[in-house]
Amino acid sequence: MKRIILFFLLTGVILAQNNKSDEILNKVKENFNKVNDYVVNVKIKVDVNFLKVPESKAEIFYKAPNKIKLKSDGFALLPKEGLNFSPNSFLQGDYTSILDREENVAGNDCYLVKVIPLGDKSDLILTNLWIDKNQFKIRKIESTTKSNGTFSINLNYNDSLKYPLPSSMVFSFNVAKMDLPRGITGDMNEEQNPEKDKQNKSKTTSGKVYVSYSDYKVNKGIPDSIFDEEKK
Amino acid sequence: MITLIRIELFKIFSKWRTYIGFMVIAVIVPVINLAMLAEGERSLDFMTRNLQQSFVFVGNLLNGYLVSYFILTSLAVHIPFLIALVAGDLLAGEATAGTYRLLITRPVSRMKLVASKFIAGLIYSNLLVLWLAIISLGIGIVFFGVGELIVIKSSGIIIFARGDVLWRFIIAYGFAGLSMTVVTAIAFLFSALVENAIGPIISTMAIIIVFIILSAIQIDFFRNIEPYLFTTYMSSWRMLFDDPINYAEFLKSVLILSGHIVVLFGVTAFLFNRKDILT
Repeated sequence: MKRIILFFLLTGVILAQNNKSDEILNKVKENFNKVNDYVVNVKIKVDVNFLKVPESKAEIFYKAPNKIKLKSDGFALLPKEGLNFSPNSFLQGDYTSILDREENVAGNDCYLVKVIPLGDKSDLILTNLWIDKNQFKIRKIESTTKSNGTFSINLNYNDSLKYPLPSSMVFSFNVAKMDLPRGITGDMNEEQNPEKDKQNKSKTTSGKVYVSYSDYKVNKGIPDSIFDEEKK
Repeated sequence: MITLIRIELFKIFSKWRTYIGFMVIAVIVPVINLAMLAEGERSLDFMTRNLQQSFVFVGNLLNGYLVSYFILTSLAVHIPFLIALVAGDLLAGEATAGTYRLLITRPVSRMKLVASKFIAGLIYSNLLVLWLAIISLGIGIVFFGVGELIVIKSSGIIIFARGDVLWRFIIAYGFAGLSMTVVTAIAFLFSALVENAIGPIISTMAIIIVFIILSAIQIDFFRNIEPYLFTTYMSSWRMLFDDPINYAEFLKSVLILSGHIVVLFGVTAFLFNRKDILT
């Protein structure tokens, strides 16, 4: 009898947590869905030890629910997962979510919600979302993917903007080190060290990308043609 | 002295074989550009496939700078042959033409004579490199425009901002001119020893090819002698496409190649001064 009561109690708690986490995620989606489209100027600084890239400027175009485009007059580079920080990109398809605990992130009280996609289609294995308790904005994301390892995104917001769009983002990640055959790079004369090559080949490497956003133009209307692939 | 150099330059540019180098470059470079126009995107996609797995990037990476960099890398062995073709004929050609005695009987010291010929050869080799620079950068920029330069090394990927590339090329071509001057000096030395231009041309190329092969063999013995081979330093222009640039090593390469030129010319001048002209 006691065991049955305990079972129902536990089930009730878990269901309540699930309901609470779903409620939180729905509020986050609702908050973000105020944004139909936006254009923003970005400055991107890449800090990865095998990749040296000059600081670049670009524009990001977004149109709900999932159209996003990076454009630049020069060269610009962004991690794939860092291009679209909308909650919809992490909460697509079927998933289950659990409210784990409350935590403080950069001075903001947040809910930590764990999201596990169901099925095999999603590249995401597990995502932790730190969601601001008061404003229902995502403050931090930590995600593990099948193809690109683990990454985390820290988002900062400018309170003067009424939409949940960040003013800056720090994207931290691990990637497998580049593995290019020497001949392709043309560096036939480069000093070769087989021992060092062996070590380097097996390493993953960590890196950070710092993105600052400015001059948001929200809900001004963006034609679909912007997102068409440019003909080469 | 200026008059002597002008005379030697006139002699060099009066021969049709001098224009082979310029014509070859004028043909090969556009052909490479056309090939890059047809296949460049695919090659670039292949080169950056690992980067594309994790990143999204935009920009004109297939541009004139990348094509020029590729051309500079690819022609490093072929340009010395075009240099040796002319430099090997500077002294041996006089013997072949039977004009050696006539030349020596002029009221000009042997030292001035050999110096003027060497300087003329030096001017030719640097003009050839300048021609390569103008053609490859010019045609590359016309076909592909300018943009950031992506350089893929075994240690990683470097992308240079478009405003940070041209000065590197200018110094790189300058260094290439210095490297080709070493080739000129070697061919010139051999030219002083024989009476037929074919020998110096083939000997110079043989030395370059053998040294390059020795440098490429991954055996400790050859790795120990690598620092003593001038070919090790001829591709030091690549250091300019690194971040940060190792200026100390680059300067060392400049000094070593300059030293080779001075020594080779010194030996040539010594031998020429003592040479018995019998033809």
